[in-house]
Amino acid sequence: MTTHDSDGPALPSPPTRAAVRDRLDRVTDPELDRSIVTLEYIDAIAIEGRRVRIDLTLPTAWCSPAFAWMMAIDARDEIESLASVGNAHITLHEHMHEAEINRGVNENLSFTEAFPDADDDVEAVRRELDEKARVARQYDAVQTLLEAGLDPDTIIELRGNDFETAERAESTGTSDTNETIAVYASDRSFAVTVPATPIERYLEKARETDLVTSTDDILFRTPEGEPIDPGSFDLVHRRGRLAQVNMSGQGGICDGLRKAREARGI
Amino acid sequence: MYQQNGEEIFVIDGHVHLWDATEENIDHRGGEEFIQCFYDYHTTFTPEDRQWDLDEYRKYGPDRMVDDLFATAAADMAIFQPTYLTDFYTEGFNTTEQNAELAAEYPERFVLNGTFDPRDGDEGLEYLDELHDKYDIPGVKLYTAEWRGDSKGWRLDDEEAFEFLEKCLELGIENIHAHKGPTIRPLNRDAFDVGDIDDAASSFPELNFIVEHVGLPRLDDFCWIGTQESNVYGGLAVAAPFAQNRPGKFSEILSELLWWLGEDRVLFGSDYAIWNPDWLVEEVLEAELTQEHRAEYGVEWDVETKKKVMGENIADLYDIDIEAKRETFRNDDISQEFGLEDHYASGDPAPADD
Repeated sequence: MTTHDSDGPALPSPPTRAAVRDRLDRVTDPELDRSIVTLEYIDAIAIEGRRVRIDLTLPTAWCSPAFAWMMAIDARDEIESLASVGNAHITLHEHMHEAEINRGVNENLSFTEAFPDADDDVEAVRRELDEKARVARQYDAVQTLLEAGLDPDTIIELRGNDFETAERAESTGTSDTNETIAVYASDRSFAVTVPATPIERYLEKARETDLVTSTDDILFRTPEGEPIDPGSFDLVHRRGRLAQVNMSGQGGICDGLRKAREARGI
Repeated sequence: MYQQNGEEIFVIDGHVHLWDATEENIDHRGGEEFIQCFYDYHTTFTPEDRQWDLDEYRKYGPDRMVDDLFATAAADMAIFQPTYLTDFYTEGFNTTEQNAELAAEYPERFVLNGTFDPRDGDEGLEYLDELHDKYDIPGVKLYTAEWRGDSKGWRLDDEEAFEFLEKCLELGIENIHAHKGPTIRPLNRDAFDVGDIDDAASSFPELNFIVEHVGLPRLDDFCWIGTQESNVYGGLAVAAPFAQNRPGKFSEILSELLWWLGEDRVLFGSDYAIWNPDWLVEEVLEAELTQEHRAEYGVEWDVETKKKVMGENIADLYDIDIEAKRETFRNDDISQEFGLEDHYASGDPAPADD
């Protein structure tokens, strides 16, 4: 899964397609919190020595320029983080603002340089979407803990240092999806083992949104970022579910539009 | 009216248009992109055998509209929601004036809404006066993402917008429909944002704020606002056609809406001609909530809820007396034209709810 720096001395070998795809897979549509590879936004990957070209089409020409921008620069940055890549060139197609975006991304401009009449930088939008993604991911993490038998009062008190990655399941269990994590609850008086993926996916966004910066921080929060009051656990959990329904609903729309567009051959 | 298990469900389509996107009317490339985008929505969520071709979709005209809405009594009444887009279309895309002709022809069947744009300042206030005087509009449709000159949009919680809401209050224009859904051209400005509804709704408790497209893709923000502001309603346009090809998703979204807002604050709308009530109403009314969702949310899509969502809730907002309408429709022009006299005469009138 992970890519390693080339240990060849002088001429690093070109990146593999798999390595490029793996990097692209980490780029999400910020509105849907799903990988742009899974969403089939990538039209083509071309590798020419140390140069990688990506062709990208979003579901509609109207897709927010800010979202399109984020995906394009994230794709560029992820690919360029491979030691074997010198330069990533991104071409966004069929977008109302493709000219501004392609120029900006490939000439390393900032969003406000690429869109001189934009009011704000794109970071505020990104932050808001990251926060929503965190809320949606929290639902899965908390659901996993509830299903493992933890009660709400315990869950709302959990901190990073209550979790320990368990030993990988023996022999066959090498895939990430089979990994488990141990939760030490109630002053470490007992532990339960749960699937690691939902917890880790949550932690990733909780860190990105600066809600969890040390292992001693309370992990689960209200959508506004506050610790959860025991009386509002159910409501907060429902809001997480709602955030998921919203994202997957929008995903359904985007997916449908993309198919309609492809069917018309445009 | 839709007949289901011996019950009659009176359908008020809360969101219809009569638009013109012919090439002669387009004077900005945004106009072409806009209709293409609408067409993508149409084909995405319309059964294959009911899809229109792009040319008929550009301009379908009043006769076809009346036929689609009323010929089979798919809808009993409909509310015009204008979309001006005068920067894209020479004569506008779907203006109150354009809608008014048909609405005047069948005043018992259509409700005609107006619009305002706070960026028009005093002229805009005068225009609102004019719409009130001329058409006695009971509501407005607002398009906060509309492009106007250099401006990329406006917000309902702007000071200028509040002036217009004051004016609505003064004129008795009570129903404020805001498009909060798929949008056009906001650059990095988040034009999907429904946050401005919150302040507007709490500042004007006498007005009703109908969030068209239930805020998608901001359903979460919308529902949260809806729990706090009792004068906020959700219009189902865009969500409704999920019933047809994404029934699980429809079940989930509807369950969320019924859980957060309750059955009195969800309103049906087709968004005609993006989707056509002649098939959509049946799809929505025959849809079921999944067993899992019914258990998870504890809500029902039963006949009482359907009656409210499909007609009674909107009727309350627009002071429409459904029983009186049924009487009228036993012999109005539409019923005569399509031979629906028996349809409205048959069966015992359902007892009034209140």
